[in-house]
Amino acid sequence: MANRADLLQGTLDLLVLKALLLGPVHGWAISKRLARLSDDVLSVGQGSLYPALYRLEDQGWITSEWGISPEGRRAKAYTLTSAGRKQLGAERSAWRLFAAAVEQVLHAS
Amino acid sequence: MPDRAAQLKRRLRALFHGGAVDSELNEEIRLHLEMEAEELARTERVPLDEARRRAHIAFGGVERFREEHRDARGIGWLDRRGQDIRYAFRGLRNRPGFTLAVVLTLALGIGANAAMFSIVDRLLFRAPPLMHDADRAHRVFLETTWRWGIAENDYIPYARFSDLTRDTRSFERTALFTEEELAIGTGSDTKEMQVGVVSAGFFGFFNATPVLGRYYTAAEDAAPFGAPVVVLSYGYWATQYSSRRDVVGQHVQIGATRYTVIGVAPRGFFGMWPDKPPVAFVPAATVGAEKGAKVSNVGETWWSTYHWTWAEMMVQRKPNVTAAQASADLSQAFVRSYQHELATGSSNQPINIAHPRATARSVLSERGPHESDLAKVATWIGGVAMIVWLIACANVANLLLARALQRRREIAVRLALGVSRARLAAQLLTESIILALLGGVSGVIVAQVGGAVLRAEFLARTSTATVITDPRTLIYAGAAALIAGLLSGLAPLLQTRRVNLSRDLRAGMREGSYQKSPLRSALLILQGTLSVVLLVGAGLFVRSLSHVKAAPLGYAPEQVLMVERNMRGVSLDSVSGEALVNRLHAGATAIPGVTVASRQLTMPFWNSWSLGLYVAGIDSVDKLGEFSLDAVSPEYFATMGTRILRGRGITATDGAGAPLAMVVSQAMADKLWPHEDALGKCVRINSDSLPCNYVVGVAENIKSDQLGDDPGLYYYLSAEQFHPDKGGLFLKVNGDPDAMKEQVRKALQPLMPGASYLTVTPIRDIIGQQTQPWQLGASMFVVFGALALVLAAIGLYSVISFNVSQRFHELGVRIALGATMGDIASHVITGGLKLAGVGVALGIAAASGMSHWIEPLLFEESPHDPVIFVAVAAVLLIVAALASFIPARRAVGVDPVRALRMD
Repeated sequence: MANRADLLQGTLDLLVLKALLLGPVHGWAISKRLARLSDDVLSVGQGSLYPALYRLEDQGWITSEWGISPEGRRAKAYTLTSAGRKQLGAERSAWRLFAAAVEQVLHAS
Repeated sequence: MPDRAAQLKRRLRALFHGGAVDSELNEEIRLHLEMEAEELARTERVPLDEARRRAHIAFGGVERFREEHRDARGIGWLDRRGQDIRYAFRGLRNRPGFTLAVVLTLALGIGANAAMFSIVDRLLFRAPPLMHDADRAHRVFLETTWRWGIAENDYIPYARFSDLTRDTRSFERTALFTEEELAIGTGSDTKEMQVGVVSAGFFGFFNATPVLGRYYTAAEDAAPFGAPVVVLSYGYWATQYSSRRDVVGQHVQIGATRYTVIGVAPRGFFGMWPDKPPVAFVPAATVGAEKGAKVSNVGETWWSTYHWTWAEMMVQRKPNVTAAQASADLSQAFVRSYQHELATGSSNQPINIAHPRATARSVLSERGPHESDLAKVATWIGGVAMIVWLIACANVANLLLARALQRRREIAVRLALGVSRARLAAQLLTESIILALLGGVSGVIVAQVGGAVLRAEFLARTSTATVITDPRTLIYAGAAALIAGLLSGLAPLLQTRRVNLSRDLRAGMREGSYQKSPLRSALLILQGTLSVVLLVGAGLFVRSLSHVKAAPLGYAPEQVLMVERNMRGVSLDSVSGEALVNRLHAGATAIPGVTVASRQLTMPFWNSWSLGLYVAGIDSVDKLGEFSLDAVSPEYFATMGTRILRGRGITATDGAGAPLAMVVSQAMADKLWPHEDALGKCVRINSDSLPCNYVVGVAENIKSDQLGDDPGLYYYLSAEQFHPDKGGLFLKVNGDPDAMKEQVRKALQPLMPGASYLTVTPIRDIIGQQTQPWQLGASMFVVFGALALVLAAIGLYSVISFNVSQRFHELGVRIALGATMGDIASHVITGGLKLAGVGVALGIAAASGMSHWIEPLLFEESPHDPVIFVAVAAVLLIVAALASFIPARRAVGVDPVRALRMD
């Protein structure tokens, strides 16, 4: 399992929101989408994905609906809400600030 | 901002439709696993089954995930508790035998406690019903020092009450109160009932507005006469007057006075006597005037004399006054009052010796200093009930523990599935608390039903105490149940911490393998110890009781009725008085079923009469002790069964005009004439200038004051020579005296003039009151001791039989290796006896350490009586052997082939 990074605390919400920005999709597909987008570097702990989905839904950033998946199965699809979009923007800025700061520290000689 | 309303809606849905939400979640997970498995099968080229397995592993603990998910739903706590409760109920339903055993054990333990609590609380802690600011109310006790010691009295003269009320500043109110048994009604309806004799200020201590009319005023309760006004109790009004509102203004005869009803007290108001509820309340001054006319000396009135002590005083402190300040204030007033008493010519000792002082004590008389033996016994039995409760807790802990061990595999599986240990602990605790609450509810029922018997014994039969409707007792029972649940739940909790996943799962088919549990052994030993302590107590009381019963009284009370006259204001001159007594005597003798009748003046343990005696050659007879007298007819000794040892009894020749005769007790003869024959000796009564009473006989000693070391100084005069117009009768009857007593009353009552009346009492009832504390102590200790023994036996049995079932495998191996049936049986029984032996040893040590506390309650019984200790040890060991025997038989029946095949 080389070249796999554990998720930093608090980044899962950001990643899930981002994944959903690409369109409504069900739980398993979210984890696959994240793996693909990160070239298999980021792996979402399956057990933490669903609680995170519930948490986000509870905050009103995403909604869910039962329907038929592209694979032809009955599945619960998650959709980003407009509040979720705003939240994604805020979390993205926060992350960039944070990442830049870490980079800067690492580049300091 | 999240949408609050939508959020709330979702959470409520999760809470109330948890099942639906859960099944959605399950479906989501299933989908996830399937997708994952299909992908794995595709990319890794493995069979679908293997892919599913890997997907499952990759997902992690499904159970834990579900819980985390529920936590995230935000209703986790409530939801989990609900789940735990459902889970616990399901588990309990599946094992009805276990559940029943635990609930029964707890019901007995908690029931015994709640029942005793309701009694002890009533006697020692609870203020009288409806009393307000009870913490500021006190009963006043007056202390004086005498040459022989300190006397502390709560019964005081009216004059003292007036003085203390007038000369103190610390109190919002004071009251004088006593309860008397007075005759109510007229003619054949006359009945003696409890009447509260209270000063006008008494009602102010209570929040008790009359339901009808009013209470009496201070003016109606003032010396010299008071007013003939009465306030009826609610109960009496309801039963006797059918709650009629026109009762006010009606008349009712109480004692010798005709009272006018002015009001009715509210429901639940019993004054100071919730256990002996009075039927009416009358002014202290009115009763004082009626009864006190005779008691005061020349030149004194009933309200100014310091010689007639007949009622108690109660005070209520002002809010800013402490109890100590109140006592100090009362003390200085008492000193002034005492000085006044001396100034009026009292022969009391000087103030510097008497050192008069007062104490404001609890309003509850059983709080001391004159508490009854009954209250002491009740307190003891309360402690005993607590021990029974502890034993019950230990038992339940052991049962739960055994159950937890049986379930070890189940627990290990659940842990493996990712259920957290905290969660598991919460479930086990939930289960024991539910069991405890079930036990508590059954316990309250036990207390209500079984407690009725106890309350009748300890409190008067008229007591208003109950369990079901009493919040304090219910709270106590609830607390006892909860603590029992927590305590007994603790043991299995400790056990789960020791669960070893791989070992317990590996144990395979067997439900966990046998291991010695120090905790279970400790609990068993504790039970054994406590049982021994209780049984020793029971033994000591039973022996005391048999000593009490064996103690010779000097008379046979079983078949004797006492007839007392109550003249109720009818006054007779001495001639007609004597004629009346003679008519009664003759009439009683004529009643069928009465074998013999005698006149009497006094009754042992009931009343006494003593006079100054003068004997030639003895300086002061009074210093030798108190000599009590009775004045009797010739039939007396045959009636009472008291034996004449020498000389003769009183005979018909000892009539008026004949030489004065007297019969003395053996102890009195020995005391007065240690080296001489008492027969023919001269004793002068009241004054050494009066004629001689000649000793004509010596009778056996009788007990008249104490069942223990009674000095037995008693003498008998001829009723025809001493107050021929006074006294009542003793009748010896055939058959049951209780059945005879009404017949006797009906036959003799018509002979009584005016409103006067007779009371007939079996004298065994009077003697029975003396032996009651031992009787009660013995029966209660035996009941609770037996309960403890049964619980301990059940505990031992269940643990040993559980051990045997856990050791099937090991025992099978032993048998296969050639152990005989006898070896196996003795192996199992020895295990049980070892535990019991340690318990017995500890229990004996504890009991001998504690038994000196119980000594004051014993009767001619050493608290270290070796007979008791040996007997208790034997009983416990026998019971232990029996409890181990049944499982041992099962152990012997182990089939080695089957036991070994179980692997």
